[in-house]
Amino acid sequence: MLRKGLLLQAFFKKELILFRRYLHNSVGGMITLYVIFLLLVGGFQGVRALVGVGADTLEGLVVGYVLWIFMLSTYQDVWYTVRTEAQEGTLEQLYMSAHGFGWVMGAKVVAGFFTNLIMVAVLLAAALLTTGVSVNLDFWSLLPLVIGTLLGSAGIGFAVGGITLVLKRIDSYTQMVQFLLIALVGAPAGRIIWMRLLPCSYGSALINRVMVGGQNLSQIGFGHVAAMILIGVGHLLAGYGIYKFCEQRAMIQGTLGHY
Amino acid sequence: MIQVEALEKVYPGRKGQAGVKAVDNISFGVHEGELLGFLGPNGAGKTTTVKMLCGLIRPSSGRIFINGIDLLQRRISALADVSAVLEGNRNIYWRLTAQENLEFFAAVRGLNPARLRNEIGYYLKLFNLTEKRDVEARKLSRGMQQKLAIAVALISQSKVVLLDEPTLGLDVQASYEIRQLLKQIVKEQGRTVILTTHDMNVVQDACQRVIIVNEGRIVANDSVHNLLDLFKVKVYRITVQGGLTAEQRQALLAMEEVIIEEESPIQTAISVRLEESQILYRVIGVLESNHSPIESIDQDQNNFERVFLQILEGGSQGA
Repeated sequence: MLRKGLLLQAFFKKELILFRRYLHNSVGGMITLYVIFLLLVGGFQGVRALVGVGADTLEGLVVGYVLWIFMLSTYQDVWYTVRTEAQEGTLEQLYMSAHGFGWVMGAKVVAGFFTNLIMVAVLLAAALLTTGVSVNLDFWSLLPLVIGTLLGSAGIGFAVGGITLVLKRIDSYTQMVQFLLIALVGAPAGRIIWMRLLPCSYGSALINRVMVGGQNLSQIGFGHVAAMILIGVGHLLAGYGIYKFCEQRAMIQGTLGHY
Repeated sequence: MIQVEALEKVYPGRKGQAGVKAVDNISFGVHEGELLGFLGPNGAGKTTTVKMLCGLIRPSSGRIFINGIDLLQRRISALADVSAVLEGNRNIYWRLTAQENLEFFAAVRGLNPARLRNEIGYYLKLFNLTEKRDVEARKLSRGMQQKLAIAVALISQSKVVLLDEPTLGLDVQASYEIRQLLKQIVKEQGRTVILTTHDMNVVQDACQRVIIVNEGRIVANDSVHNLLDLFKVKVYRITVQGGLTAEQRQALLAMEEVIIEEESPIQTAISVRLEESQILYRVIGVLESNHSPIESIDQDQNNFERVFLQILEGGSQGA
């Protein structure tokens, strides 16, 4: 386990080094996300003036947008890592790790979670200050819900990463996934029960209950939380299963490290 | 250290097309502390074989044992003893410094970078990278990037190091430095190194043994010294002032052992394979027929490039 800790530490250090070394790029990315958010809010307020939507939905927009960014970052931490490492020639080195590639990617995702968390926290603070809305930031209630939600987006990342290993050059298709994630964040899983089986949707609904509805875990009910996490684990395992299947195909075709 | 048994790889064909057999039933062993050259023309199956040894390509059949561990059954345990540079200078992170690359890959290979400070310093020094330790890899020269990639492979302390074209694209100086380093690593650390290369200088200078593959099959497996001996043929290079007449050219080209390497109105160079002593007299006779002034007659050194080409042309039956 100590060796796994060292692996995690190495990925943390790498993330931090690259964030600091390319600070302009990192900050530029955050500013872009913030500008997109402002455009969304502007558009939303225009629509609200026309159709008279309630003010509370602006809170929903803030939460939905920030959650989408978090999910998108997690998805990209997996898919984009596989693609970029293959493109840059380092994927094969990671495959020769003493830990196994699954652990390597796990460490990458966990390290990415914390750097994404910082980015999302800054973005959330900026969004709240700009819009003037307030949301319930019950950290201990949100933590398991966010993790459970992100398991789904990591699962999608693995599935897309696996398909990339076999098919290569599918960037134009993978861009569509970010729109799929918007649909998943907005799916009404609170009202329509079968939608809870979709990746991330159940978690998104429960996060909204905490941040917008002001509830905590005990008010939501531990059954809901456990079910959401189980579904998230299921999506992660399914995505990883697709990845492993594709990995075996790539190893047979001899295209593992190609891009 | 490495045992390969009846290894075969057939890449699946696309939609109804027949598969491509890249490696065809090859078997060989590599001893601890050996520097083995794995040679062959493009498409011979070298890289496929090396990637199968790294567990990155799944063989169609056959077995690979590394330090007695079956690679196909216990991949991670077997690979604990293997490191590789497969993509040359692309095997490192270009946005990390030399030291950061070494630390990161040490952790990926299950080692504690904090306890490897001495080793990291040692390899930086060995590869002349100490002054560049804090320079991002993308800012290093290609030769330095290549050396860093090899240092990254060595930091894992694996017993087997696989290098795919380690001197590709390097200038003479960088190529020379790398082969000196490889020899040093094998001699001082007892590592087993397998390298694929098209650079016959590397083979002749550094490798103890070579395996030559062609069309997926092993066509030669012997020490460099033995192969050089086996294909030992004296070659003389005759330089003549001026060009040749049509009759001289025709007469020379009629002799199988003669190659006109270069011909111009100023100078002509002819190489003669001395399989029997009479041939040299016959060539000189042809040149005398028109009083072509002979500038020099030199004996060519037998080199591994010539041996390699002869083996590929089918002269390997004895090897």
